[in-house]
Amino acid sequence: MKKSAAARRNARREALAGYGFVLPQLVGFCLLVLLPLINVFIYSFHNKNMLFGTNIYVGFDNFANLFGNDPLFWLTLKNTLVFSVLLVPLNLVLALLLALYLGEGRPGTRYIRTVIFLPVVTSGVAWAIVWKYLLQGGTAGPINWFLSLLGVQGPNWLLEKGWAMAAVVVNRVLKNLGTNVLIFFGAVMNMPQDVIEAARMDGAGSFTLLRKIKLPLLMPTILMVAIVTMIGSMRVFDTIRLMTDGGPEGSTMVLVYYIYHQAFKMFNTGYASAIAVVLFVIVLVLTIAQWTLRKRVSHYEG
Amino acid sequence: MKAKRVTQRAGQVVMLVAVTALFVYPFWWMLVNSLNTAAQVFGAPTLLPVSWRWRNYVEIFEIQPFARHCVNSVLVAVVGTAGNILVAGLSGYGFARLRFPGRGVLFMLLLTALMMPIEVIIVPLFFQMLGWGFDDSLVPLMLLPIFGSQGAFSAFMFRQFFVTVPGELEEAAKLDGLGYFGTFWHIMLPIAKPVISSGAILAFLAAWNTYLEPLVFTSSIEKYTLPLSLNNFNDAYGQPQWNLQMAATTVSVLPIMLVYLFFQEKVTDAMVNSGLK
Amino acid sequence: MKRFLSILLTAILLMAFAAPALAEETVALKIATWTSNEDQLKLLGSFVDEFAQAKGIKIDATFESIDFAEYNTKLLLELQSTTPPDLYWVLETAAPAFIASGNLAVLNDAMAAYNPEDIAETALALWKNGEDVCAIPFSTSPFVLLYNADLFAQAGAKTPDELIAEGNWTWESFREICKQIKDKTGVWALQTVDGQGYDARILHNLLPIVRAFGGDAWDENYEVSIDSPESVAAVQLFHDMVYVDGSVVPPGDESSFFTGAAAMTMSQISRVSNLDEVEWKWSMTTLPGNVPVIGQAALGAFSRGKNVELASELVAYMTSESCVARMAGIWPPARYSVLESEAFLTSNSRIDPEQMKNAVAASIATGRVLPSHQLYPQIEVEAKMAYDKLWKADADVAAILSEVAGIYRKYLK
Repeated sequence: MKKSAAARRNARREALAGYGFVLPQLVGFCLLVLLPLINVFIYSFHNKNMLFGTNIYVGFDNFANLFGNDPLFWLTLKNTLVFSVLLVPLNLVLALLLALYLGEGRPGTRYIRTVIFLPVVTSGVAWAIVWKYLLQGGTAGPINWFLSLLGVQGPNWLLEKGWAMAAVVVNRVLKNLGTNVLIFFGAVMNMPQDVIEAARMDGAGSFTLLRKIKLPLLMPTILMVAIVTMIGSMRVFDTIRLMTDGGPEGSTMVLVYYIYHQAFKMFNTGYASAIAVVLFVIVLVLTIAQWTLRKRVSHYEG
Repeated sequence: MKAKRVTQRAGQVVMLVAVTALFVYPFWWMLVNSLNTAAQVFGAPTLLPVSWRWRNYVEIFEIQPFARHCVNSVLVAVVGTAGNILVAGLSGYGFARLRFPGRGVLFMLLLTALMMPIEVIIVPLFFQMLGWGFDDSLVPLMLLPIFGSQGAFSAFMFRQFFVTVPGELEEAAKLDGLGYFGTFWHIMLPIAKPVISSGAILAFLAAWNTYLEPLVFTSSIEKYTLPLSLNNFNDAYGQPQWNLQMAATTVSVLPIMLVYLFFQEKVTDAMVNSGLK
Repeated sequence: MKRFLSILLTAILLMAFAAPALAEETVALKIATWTSNEDQLKLLGSFVDEFAQAKGIKIDATFESIDFAEYNTKLLLELQSTTPPDLYWVLETAAPAFIASGNLAVLNDAMAAYNPEDIAETALALWKNGEDVCAIPFSTSPFVLLYNADLFAQAGAKTPDELIAEGNWTWESFREICKQIKDKTGVWALQTVDGQGYDARILHNLLPIVRAFGGDAWDENYEVSIDSPESVAAVQLFHDMVYVDGSVVPPGDESSFFTGAAAMTMSQISRVSNLDEVEWKWSMTTLPGNVPVIGQAALGAFSRGKNVELASELVAYMTSESCVARMAGIWPPARYSVLESEAFLTSNSRIDPEQMKNAVAASIATGRVLPSHQLYPQIEVEAKMAYDKLWKADADVAAILSEVAGIYRKYLK
């Protein structure tokens, strides 16, 4: 069937209007996301130093140095992995338990729902600053003071290897826990009650119920949240900078902080860009995993 | 049976105490010490301020241009949020309701911004802004919430919303003589209120709390925003003034917290949606 | 009408006279510093005004106070910008990098009428590139010991001045009085430099001890000796003070000398203004061991600024004899004429002339600056990771310092 001239004119007008509507966003996107992304790849092939003003093409030298000659980079990569591996399960388990607890509608539900969200709306900077005080060593910090009441000598949290990483992880978990609790809570409330009731009738205990019925029902959501939380865990710049400054012994130096260090403390912007490319690849892989999973999940949900 | 109820009760109490200790006490501690002297900040914690030193809240404005920092933060957050909603509303509508060649590809392209951590592109972005004359400037801090990851997310939400709107509305608007923009502005945007509010909440929080961006894009103290300012309560030689830092932190946190408590449902809904993106 | 005409005429005449003044150009100059102390900025501002008056021009000077901890980063970001500072303070550790990168204008011409012989050659060495002077130190400030005399009295400990009189002012005797104070009063005996002696200012903290023992981080020829037996013994002494005696404010604890929570601190005289409001008696003396360590800061002109020539002349003026004499009470000078003058001893109203002479003037004459290198930012980051390992009770000092030395050597060779 042939379109009439008027219809064609209309289609062209609609298309023009469409481009007009999306233009501002796309122009901004190209200038503020796409262009710097292209540039970060270009920089990563240059010996670019902000202090000396150098900018020399060096091919893959930065990457060769990074992978072959920079123990700090490997340490950073390891720390980032350790951070995520500690943070994601802790976050998920706590969030799930809280959501299940809230789902039972006990007294105090509304209070808990309200207060677990307070750190979520607070800036990471404020949250980190306050916790830095709470975690002071000796008995100067409130946390160690409370521990001393129990007869426990608390560690010098932020200055002892191991404890510092634990402190940063816990700080971050508490900061973002609220969101995941409410996501899980939504999923818990959407669980088909008849299935659960039926299982209960069959005499399933609450633990069996959880393991055999509830967890499988929640699994797609859990996987999604795990990946989103993992991507988020890459981005801990403010917490690290304010609480530990990457120390002690570099044990909390993570990728995003190493990028900042190389670029703005040592002024090696080319080298920093090479690290940024590595971060990009990691995030890209995680995102692709997330999208594939989302497709599978929504397919499964119908 | 009775014993079971007692343990259940005890469990609930433990739960409430733990949640309060972890999520409320830090803020209470901050508030208490914002009214102490520097020397009182450390040592045995007290439930109420020891010295009720209200002067702290005056001194934070004297020791550095804190009022200016508040204004900067408000400015960045308001402009960033307004721009975010306007630009994303336009593009969300365009992608949802108007047919044009390349629509699907362009939308997919835009969605890549969703996943882009600012940390990946911060170095070239710094040089770009320098080249455009936005050095030591608040402009980049306003542009990023509009066009960065938060902007793409708002556009995504708007598109998902507008796709579901029945076509009759547009037909009616056309009969009333409204053009494309008129339809968007007078008909579509008003019915998109839920998206606007949750998009605005998210954009505002993102712009208000951003830290790496002002760290890189501003250098003079007059351009600092609150997150930078909070970590700058040192005397002339870098010795932190703890009580003042707590007072300033309180000033930066409290308004947001009050807004949250008033519009709790809206805020949590918005955050939950974005957590699922 | 007549009246109107006369007024008009007067107005025109006035404008004609005023015109040259209006036409006189106003030069805007931006000066970056890390102090935000208003009295200090006012003093610096008055130098600029004098200079402008002498030149017969107007200068609109803005002072930019950058956070000390962020100084190099923020400064460099500003230097890239379209409104870079024309003059800026330079940290000693950053000197080689800033000189080598050409971000500092050569000041030789501006110094023509300057009498450079007045400045100690050793004080200027760090700031020269061959024969070219790239920045001029305005502060050559030795590290001194500030102490809380009341706490000493309370502990019944001998004061540093008594020990000096006895000829027994060594780090070993220092360690003993520290322990005595902590044991008797329960108050920390020593706060490290600005409380940052375990991280940002680790060299300020350790080098006075290390050098007193005959060790060093590295010397002028980049010869590393932080792993020498002398250095190890020195660091071990400090480590024992922290972990065996428990007399030093430990890492992560914010107790401060200035709030009365520690009996002593290593510091510089610019800090004594923080003691104005304290209710206890304080005093100042040299650090034990009598091997003074000096912290330097210099003023330079940005080589790509809009008014390089004028900025260079201003640098020369602000570090001239007259200005240096007036800054001396805050930032001790490297100029013999000022250093040897009576006026210097009374230049800081908070400090006793006798102390100024013994603790400050004498130390400047014999002191050495901290080590530096073009790659200092890299060295600092990597060395910190090794140094961090020191701050445990069971740390193996010798092994850790040999690791530090390895890092130093990697960059310095």
